[in-house]
Amino acid sequence: MEFGYEFILEEKKEVSGSDLGLLQEKLLQLNWGVQHPASGPMRLKVWIDGDEVVKVDPDIGYVLRLLEKLVEYRNWINAIVNVERACFIDNFGTMAGYSIAAEKIAGIEVPKKADYMRVILCEGGRIVSHLLGLGGFVGVLGVHTPSQWALVAREKFLDAFEVYSGQRIATSSIIPGGVRYEPTGKFIEKMVEAIDYLEKEFIPRYEEVFIDNPTLKLRSVGVGVVPKEKAVELGLAGPALRASGVASDIRKDYPYAAYGDFEFKVVTREEGDSYARYCVLFDEIKESAKIIRQAIEGFPEGEYRTKFPIKLPKGEAYVNVEWARGCFGFHLISNGGTGPYRLKMRAPSFANLWAMPEIMKGVKLADVPVIFASLYMCHGDIDR
Amino acid sequence: MLEDVKKKVDELFGFKTESYDTNMLLIFGEKEKIRDLLKFLKDFGFSYPHTISVVDYTPEGRGFEINYILEDIYIKKFVIVRIELSENNLAVPSVSDIFPALQPHEREAWEMFGVEFVGNPRLEVMLLPEWAEGTFPLRKSYQFKKHRKGTK
Repeated sequence: MEFGYEFILEEKKEVSGSDLGLLQEKLLQLNWGVQHPASGPMRLKVWIDGDEVVKVDPDIGYVLRLLEKLVEYRNWINAIVNVERACFIDNFGTMAGYSIAAEKIAGIEVPKKADYMRVILCEGGRIVSHLLGLGGFVGVLGVHTPSQWALVAREKFLDAFEVYSGQRIATSSIIPGGVRYEPTGKFIEKMVEAIDYLEKEFIPRYEEVFIDNPTLKLRSVGVGVVPKEKAVELGLAGPALRASGVASDIRKDYPYAAYGDFEFKVVTREEGDSYARYCVLFDEIKESAKIIRQAIEGFPEGEYRTKFPIKLPKGEAYVNVEWARGCFGFHLISNGGTGPYRLKMRAPSFANLWAMPEIMKGVKLADVPVIFASLYMCHGDIDR
Repeated sequence: MLEDVKKKVDELFGFKTESYDTNMLLIFGEKEKIRDLLKFLKDFGFSYPHTISVVDYTPEGRGFEINYILEDIYIKKFVIVRIELSENNLAVPSVSDIFPALQPHEREAWEMFGVEFVGNPRLEVMLLPEWAEGTFPLRKSYQFKKHRKGTK
């Protein structure tokens, strides 16, 4: 262990230093992460034979906060503070899902304005998250320009969120019973500004340089291919599932909030490789921008929030929402108290993470970061 | 579609069912037949597993409840299979060979609740630190003070 490597021999003897001998006869175990620039707070144990990956085993738990337990100590409204921290990048989707579940148990309906507002915020969150995903994907290939471009576009949306809720990232703005604040004209103005910038400046430029890019294609086309049936069997979620040709999108399949009112298409690709997953992210940004425009156009008048009871009746609900990274499930249970009795969060990144070892079998070591970034995972919602 | 499942489950297994939400069906299964039931549901089209959700009802004197949540991703329908476990015998056959994607979910449920999935090849600590194995933090009986890490 002098050099930080561990060698797995057939007889399971660990060797180091001058005993290393001929490397090609041995399986080498590498630690990819915790300090790899692309890994985030997790470690992949990668066993390689020469340059070929034999086995991958993720080591997670570095950002475990036990949110599902913390929620049990809170009341119905302020549990959103824990729920939104499943992942800070798109916090709106998780809050919307939890709120809908709580409303189902309470049996109340939220005003139309709140539903529209939820759609605007959720799609804003999705764009913000996908922008980081795009930038991060090219980032693992060693080019950091696109992530800077993406951050500039993201900044405009964060400005809009700040005008609305006073916070840029952890906004706590969607609550059971509606949304927390009255959406002002200033907020709508900022949102339109952000969409304008995205559609007129970011998308055309980015498309020209980083989508149809030969070097990027060289590294990602045909890497980490997941066929359609395999994707379902592995339980892939979100953009990764749609990149394999499965048109699964909760917004379309089981419309919640006001998604039934808008026209948008479910982006799919047939190839199922890393490049397809990357392109799905890019195309979904365009769709989300369209949805926000429609929602702002048809923005209804009225109340933005109804009264939410302090105590809920006994009951339970299972609600899925299409979060930026895929289908996020909430199994919420009430025992008649002032707060959740139990909340199970089904996180899409957790599903993608455990599909990853299967996808990485037999690829080259240099493809590990590419596949990792293309699966578009967030550590906050893997560990919860 | 869900009507067919309802009928078939009643015919083949004799389990009670109940519609849970729009597009969702709740099946009250039994622990002994859980593998057969999930195999049948997988063949029927519910091939996309979402998760395993465990609920601890011990303060209400009911033991534990395990929910398997599956989706037919093409027809867009859900089923929830629910089984009850008594507190003294927290063991259930693993379905990780039928639904490989549920293997880490079983592992998490074992880690957080101590439900033993007999046949799961990998019941090891995943999210918790190693010293916290066996504390089962999502159980209702978990106490923050008692289960804190010991100081040196």
